[in-house]
Amino acid sequence: MFLTLKELLHEKLKFSALGLIIFLIVFLVLFITGLASGLANDSGSAIKETNAQTFILQKGSESRLNRSELTEQDWQKFQDKYHNKAAKLSVSQMSIQQANNASKKTDIAYFIIDANSFLNPTTISGQKLKNANNNQVVVSDKLKSSGYKLGDKFKDPATKTTFEIAGFTDNKAYSHTPVIYLNQKQAQKLSPNTNFNTIALKSGISKKSGYQVISQQDLIDAIPGYSAEQGSLYLMIGFLYIISLFVLAVFFYIINLQKLSDFGTLKALGTKTSYLVKHVLSEMGILSLVSIIVASGVTYGISLYMPASMPFNLGTTILLGTGLLFLAITLISALLSLIKVVKVDPISAIGGNN
Amino acid sequence: MPVLELKNIIKNYPDGQNINEVLKNVSFQVNQGEFAAIVGPSGAGKSTLLTIMGALLTPTSGQILLNGQDISQLSKKKQTEIRLNQIGFIFQNSDLIPYLKIKDQLQFIQKISSKKPVDAIEILDKLGLNSRLNNYPNVLSGGEKQRVAIARAFINQPDLILADEPTASLDSQRGHEVVSIIQQTVHQENKAAVMVTHDERVLDLVDTIWEIEDGKLKKVQ
Repeated sequence: MFLTLKELLHEKLKFSALGLIIFLIVFLVLFITGLASGLANDSGSAIKETNAQTFILQKGSESRLNRSELTEQDWQKFQDKYHNKAAKLSVSQMSIQQANNASKKTDIAYFIIDANSFLNPTTISGQKLKNANNNQVVVSDKLKSSGYKLGDKFKDPATKTTFEIAGFTDNKAYSHTPVIYLNQKQAQKLSPNTNFNTIALKSGISKKSGYQVISQQDLIDAIPGYSAEQGSLYLMIGFLYIISLFVLAVFFYIINLQKLSDFGTLKALGTKTSYLVKHVLSEMGILSLVSIIVASGVTYGISLYMPASMPFNLGTTILLGTGLLFLAITLISALLSLIKVVKVDPISAIGGNN
Repeated sequence: MPVLELKNIIKNYPDGQNINEVLKNVSFQVNQGEFAAIVGPSGAGKSTLLTIMGALLTPTSGQILLNGQDISQLSKKKQTEIRLNQIGFIFQNSDLIPYLKIKDQLQFIQKISSKKPVDAIEILDKLGLNSRLNNYPNVLSGGEKQRVAIARAFINQPDLILADEPTASLDSQRGHEVVSIIQQTVHQENKAAVMVTHDERVLDLVDTIWEIEDGKLKKVQ
């Protein structure tokens, strides 16, 4: 530690430059990870945040809700067996307009549920959805960014039905649109069809003849655009880790290469190799730890000022996970330099070779 | 009893198909309070001899007795320990650690050693370096650097001091000054010292002179 601190303090410029590189890479990784996680939420949080483990779809619907149509007969089969662990769900993607301003339209997804089922979400303000035949509905917090407040009214453009916002859930979204929860009576006003898309089950089953049975994650993966988005973002993140591993390895290597004669002298003076290994590792460790902490702080700070319409989600788990992974990457990249340091022969100090 | 004694040291290096004999049956000794010089032309084996004395290189055969202990066949780890606690090195270009302040150069040795530390500042004071304690090596003159290197060699109270051409990068006046500091310290502290040099102008300061030529060592004075 003695050598490490003295060197870090003396070679401020060199180590700040290296720290800056680590900071920039970590910042970029955190930013893309936050974005990927935010987009994932924006795509499927309305499904992911339910307690449903399994979804029953019509046979041949290829995991897509909009291709699945189930009837009352199907429902009876599952209700008899699972009782309140089963719930009907219909999802339809539409637009709404503000009641007093027909030109102000917003794309949304209706979630048609039984208010007494486990799919009825908790609200962060206002009241929960009830099974009454009124126009009081619960909507996602995300609609606030389109200017909607508690008590505001909106209209379905096709049927001219007007609903009133009675409560807000947290940021629930489906395929990047805010979710509006309707009970079945309210849904009848939009369409008299009583068929529905899927049955959500709280228990995990894998098969039921005559139906397509999929897990919650399978359903989310099949939301249009979800897999493509997540796949490309995680590809970028993966590559960033690999690139930083190599870039840092080269930088560390060059920095330590410059110091090989010093290491030779130190060994000749009686410094143990293990001491020098610890020195190099703690140097890189301290440097990357500081950069990671600064990058996390800056990313978190920026996320506070990001507009609500930008899907960004940076939880403690992501911050900690990314930080630890990166610390591991920097230490692995120091390995190449360590081999060099271990191999330095103290004999190089004799004969004025330095 | 001599502090360092070399008995029939042979060092061979493979040289293609042949074997290059660098040291041919070398014997040597230096006592407490004695300052010995080894002179000889380039390539005669001076540096090899010094690295063997300094537990940096293992001889092909022969014995090296440091305070009566044979150090010729020790493991690398043991050699490192011997270098830290029993030998003080003064290198050709002083080889100070660039990111350590002058006082830290000495304190580092005290940190890695388990010996009871002496007052490093006092030693630097004695060598006229008290105004340089908080400087980095890059602002010091060649003579000052070499004085710091001398202080560093003595800081851990070793029994043996090895100097590898300490005047090589100094003019004759500074070179003489530096060697006379080594001589005084060796005598004051009653240590044994070996200096490898081809600078004949400083030979008036040493107690014994050995000459090496073609791998053969003989005492000339």
